[in-house]
Amino acid sequence: MSNRKLSVDALVIGGGIAGLQAAIDLGDQGYQVLIVEKAPSIGGKMISLSKVFPTLDCSSCICTPRMAAASHHKNISIMTYAEVEATTRTHDGFEATVLQKPRYVMEDDCTGCRLCEFACPVELPHEFEGGLGARKAVYVPFNNAIPQIALVDLENCILCGRCEKVCPTKAINFLQEPERVTVEAGAVILATGYTLSDMSAKEQYGGGRLKNVLDGLQVERLLAPHGPYGRVLRPGDGKIPDSVAYVQCAGSRDRSLGVPYCSRVCCMYAIKQAMLLSGSLPLVDITIYYMDIRAFGKGFEQFYQNAKAMGIEFVKAKVAKITEDDQQNPVLRIEVMEEDGRVEERTHDMVVLSPAVLPGWDPSRAVLVDTDDEDGFVHCVQPKLAPGYTSQAGIFVAGNAAGPKDIPDSIVEAGAAAAEASAYLRGIGRRGYEPEPASGDRSALVGEVT
Amino acid sequence: MANETHDKHRILVLATETCAYPGADNVGQIHAEYPANAYILRVPAPVIFPEKFYLDCFDKGISGIIVMSCGHECPYPKAYDRLAKRISEVHGLMKERNLSPDRLRLCAICTVCSKSFLKEIRRMNEVLAASA
Amino acid sequence: MSRKGSGELRSGGSGGNGGPRVGVYICHCGGNISDVVAVEHVVEAVRKLPCVVIARRHMFMCSDPGQNLVLEDVVNEKLDRVVVAACSPTLHELTFRDTLRRAGLNPYLYEHANIREQVSWASKSDPEGATDKAIRLVAAAVAKACRLRPLEPLRVGASRRVAVIGGGIAGLRSALDLASQGLAVALLERSPFFGGRAAQLDQVFPTSDRASDLLAELMAKASVDPNISLYTGAEVASTSGYIGNFHMKVTLHPRGVREGITPDQARAAIEACPETAASEFDYGLARRKAIYQPCPDCHPPLPAIDWETCTRCGKCAEAAGEGAIALEAPAREIDLDVGAIVLATGFDPYEPRTGEYGYGEHGVVTLPQFIRMLNERGPTAGRLTVDGRPVRNIAFIHCVGSRQVDGIHAPGPDGKVNDYCSRVCCTATLQAAKEVRDRFPDVNVFDFYQDIRTYGRGHETYYEDTSKQGVLFFRWTADAPPVVEAATGDPDAALVVKVKDTLTWGEEVEVPADLVVLSTGIMPRDIGSLVEMLKLPRGADRFLQEVHPKLRPVELAVGGVFLAGTCQGPMDITESAAAASAAAVKASALLAKGHIELDPFVAGVDEALCTGGVGCNSVCVEECGAQHAISLVERREGGETRLVAEVNRAVCGGCGMCVAVCPSRAIQVEGWRLDQFESMVDALLTVEG
Repeated sequence: MSNRKLSVDALVIGGGIAGLQAAIDLGDQGYQVLIVEKAPSIGGKMISLSKVFPTLDCSSCICTPRMAAASHHKNISIMTYAEVEATTRTHDGFEATVLQKPRYVMEDDCTGCRLCEFACPVELPHEFEGGLGARKAVYVPFNNAIPQIALVDLENCILCGRCEKVCPTKAINFLQEPERVTVEAGAVILATGYTLSDMSAKEQYGGGRLKNVLDGLQVERLLAPHGPYGRVLRPGDGKIPDSVAYVQCAGSRDRSLGVPYCSRVCCMYAIKQAMLLSGSLPLVDITIYYMDIRAFGKGFEQFYQNAKAMGIEFVKAKVAKITEDDQQNPVLRIEVMEEDGRVEERTHDMVVLSPAVLPGWDPSRAVLVDTDDEDGFVHCVQPKLAPGYTSQAGIFVAGNAAGPKDIPDSIVEAGAAAAEASAYLRGIGRRGYEPEPASGDRSALVGEVT
Repeated sequence: MANETHDKHRILVLATETCAYPGADNVGQIHAEYPANAYILRVPAPVIFPEKFYLDCFDKGISGIIVMSCGHECPYPKAYDRLAKRISEVHGLMKERNLSPDRLRLCAICTVCSKSFLKEIRRMNEVLAASA
Repeated sequence: MSRKGSGELRSGGSGGNGGPRVGVYICHCGGNISDVVAVEHVVEAVRKLPCVVIARRHMFMCSDPGQNLVLEDVVNEKLDRVVVAACSPTLHELTFRDTLRRAGLNPYLYEHANIREQVSWASKSDPEGATDKAIRLVAAAVAKACRLRPLEPLRVGASRRVAVIGGGIAGLRSALDLASQGLAVALLERSPFFGGRAAQLDQVFPTSDRASDLLAELMAKASVDPNISLYTGAEVASTSGYIGNFHMKVTLHPRGVREGITPDQARAAIEACPETAASEFDYGLARRKAIYQPCPDCHPPLPAIDWETCTRCGKCAEAAGEGAIALEAPAREIDLDVGAIVLATGFDPYEPRTGEYGYGEHGVVTLPQFIRMLNERGPTAGRLTVDGRPVRNIAFIHCVGSRQVDGIHAPGPDGKVNDYCSRVCCTATLQAAKEVRDRFPDVNVFDFYQDIRTYGRGHETYYEDTSKQGVLFFRWTADAPPVVEAATGDPDAALVVKVKDTLTWGEEVEVPADLVVLSTGIMPRDIGSLVEMLKLPRGADRFLQEVHPKLRPVELAVGGVFLAGTCQGPMDITESAAAASAAAVKASALLAKGHIELDPFVAGVDEALCTGGVGCNSVCVEECGAQHAISLVERREGGETRLVAEVNRAVCGGCGMCVAVCPSRAIQVEGWRLDQFESMVDALLTVEG
């Protein structure tokens, strides 16, 4: 195993929208940046979303320009399918060991043509599609992935060799080895994002076994114009749902699951999905079971009111249990928290859970920072004035790594982390673009005193 | 050529570089097919074209034009509204010249709107086949 | 986009025989293209085109051998235009532009034809059609290439100074971040004191930090930072210019107090002043003098004179003694040349109308007022009393001036209701409720809400804690808001709150209260003429409107102007600080080099063709709104003066709206000229396969 060395000003861990934005903001100031992304493509969660609230912009259309900007940036380099294994502090910064996982495809030779993918006989559930669609054992991660490079899922590969035969550049290489790269960096930004709590954690909601109970991210794929089925239907039997229910706080604000906090984005994405579903299935009835509707951001409340005006039903209720009937229709046992407080059972064709937003990566394994006992996210030592500061000077945090948040808040925080990191970098003598001499003017001081 | 109708009819597609052009790329990436008579030109914002450009294209022998814009996701403020207005003006001028306004179509295509893209190409070919 | 490689770049154009010399390269993409498209056939067809000096094909054009082919041909065949037909330009257009640069050719003399995504992959079952389409697209690319002009990235000189307007938390945070990158900062605060709204707060959620400590920390850094100039009483009088080069005139209103004034002199001056006004710092709960200091640790820790209230009677000057007070000091104007402007103009709390939820009655206050009451140095010294009587029951009512509904709520002076959520009030209210229960365990707390929106990290705890501490919650809906009335016959409470509580079967409940706290929302602060001066776009909610909430969340459509904090929408301190830093990093990237590099794809005018009509100018003014790029200037020719359009290339975004309305085709967007498009259409219709 060779041991390449790279030296940069800043190491950004995570290539989702927060990491990309932080890297671009640093790169634009002339700092050299390396992004390390554990998935085979940059883009994070955002690239898999359908449309985004409250503007209903196409998510891909907003995310791909950022991905392209980072990948074409002359001050930014990117390692995908790579993981930071360990970080140590050196006299003037940090040294990280990054594991480049083998794709079994020579990166420099692959042109992303997908002939291998078409030739591969193995079909597997597609992670990018929330397990709803299929992918091959050799595959380009998704359509607009960056980089457009295939990888072999060796665990499920049957070694038939068809991909090797069809590859025009002979890029398939089953002997590719993992590589460890040493990265020296002046500062580190953690932008490691989130994951949703597993549906199996909530036994009373079917523990992930009910076919027509999905999570929010899966429905994002159902709604995406290029999603797994190309249309909205329920995965259990392909039926077009006439009645869809959303169950909010299905994991958040729930001490029994160890998640006392609010996951912050679920109200809005449920409302958004409800609106998009109403658009693609004009006859569908949608009910959102909620505790509080937290439409707090810019334009959110207006969005919520529009959804109500469209006829989406909002019911303040606790959902005690979800089972299914013999038609695989989910049956909800609910306690209505308003009106007469009755307990009743309601049947829907499809149920969407809003699980808890959990940390995407436990940094304590590989990076030196502390996490909060309460929520497991990166601990912020100066949340009011310097939201990106962690327990370690020189290591900053942005986006969902520091707690659940939506895309605009993540992007703004990424800018803040970049500002904090650049101030730190100058403090340790690393500079970006060399400016012409500044001309500070102190002619007028505090107040105008005459 | 493989298809006579398509050989006769040439469709010009004016696709915005931020939305519709990558959207057209996406159609290729998923290996979805559409007739080879659609020629896609990349433009920053189709609002750049005066009325005469469209009419000239028809005079020169273009059979149908699809303006694939970003719709209201247009990166230039208000450009889409002005474009929509211009296209309807051109429709008026086309009628004066006995050109069916169906042969100039304005739509919005996003970066992953492969289905809509295919539908637009198909629809324009149908229009042209019917008018032939 | 710096020039790589060495020496002068050739600009192409009229070589030996006058015409352009085009090289065309068709990529096989290892079969991805050549399995469907008959590439040899394309090469043959293209070779026949005029201007094409050389046409080749290669297995992988993007590979080093492929690029070297171009490099060698440019040199050996004296090519001055290059066309590569391969995959989508989004993948490799920049690659080949760079190849041209390395070959010593201007990189904009390159045109890309997309024959993979838009030909071979999209026409698999029609190889003949695909080949024909490829030929036509390549011919079109060649036609455009022949008409390409060499371009240079625009370089706009830029001042490395930034004006930050507003001296609250966001302005201070932004100023410090800008200064940390070596930029000079002028921090302009309109009032006599820094600190903004945060100065009026006490404990802040979720850390229980004291807002005054947070401010002191920022102020301590800002006041010693050699890159930051601090101005109070600073009002922007005018602005002109554009990205990188703004010119501002700023009026500095006199403080009326000399810097050397001692605390004793200040005290004597304030005591001597006979005039009073409602204290804005205590939200009208107390009165202050015309010469005043809102709190001992204000920034700067000096009094200031409120010129509207002051009668210039001179008593303060007399009491303070020689040289402490300057009643006759004139306002002064300073000029600032700045490269960027950060707006951190903050918010105003919603001011309820008289009678709205009982506002105006004794015992009905707003949450900002209540926060002043909780402060031990506030108007009630931290005691909860109404008319001298201790408070026993407090009712909090949420969403006052927020989440308003047209038709239910009376509109404000501008005819609009506040239909947005103010984001911070839920947690702020519960924090206040918690503080009441912590400090005054005998005081009962009732909370009237629509939805509890404790969304942020650490916020939910306040909801949990107050519930455990016995705060009683009642839920109402917008069509049946709570009613606050004077109580009749209750000796313990002067007020009663009536509401239909949806949590208990919609039962009408009456809650006695001697203090009702209205959780008022956040309104954009009136920033007067700044909106006009800088052509600032505002949203339907009247907050300043970013270009795009996700792509460019802290930028305004006006280039070089950035947003920091609550001028953009409701935010808490954490969020304001993040937005302020994000704005700073954008401005700092913009000005990092002392000049700004912009894409050359902007409008340009051929003055010989321009008839001085107003089409382009007016469309640019109307549509670009924010800042128009086109102006009409006078040209003198042979004793005659005529008008021609002139483009400020630093401001032009290249949308091309002007192009379509120009009757003489004098204005064109470089890189996308109309004649280039027309020649492409001609070529794809006429080329022979």
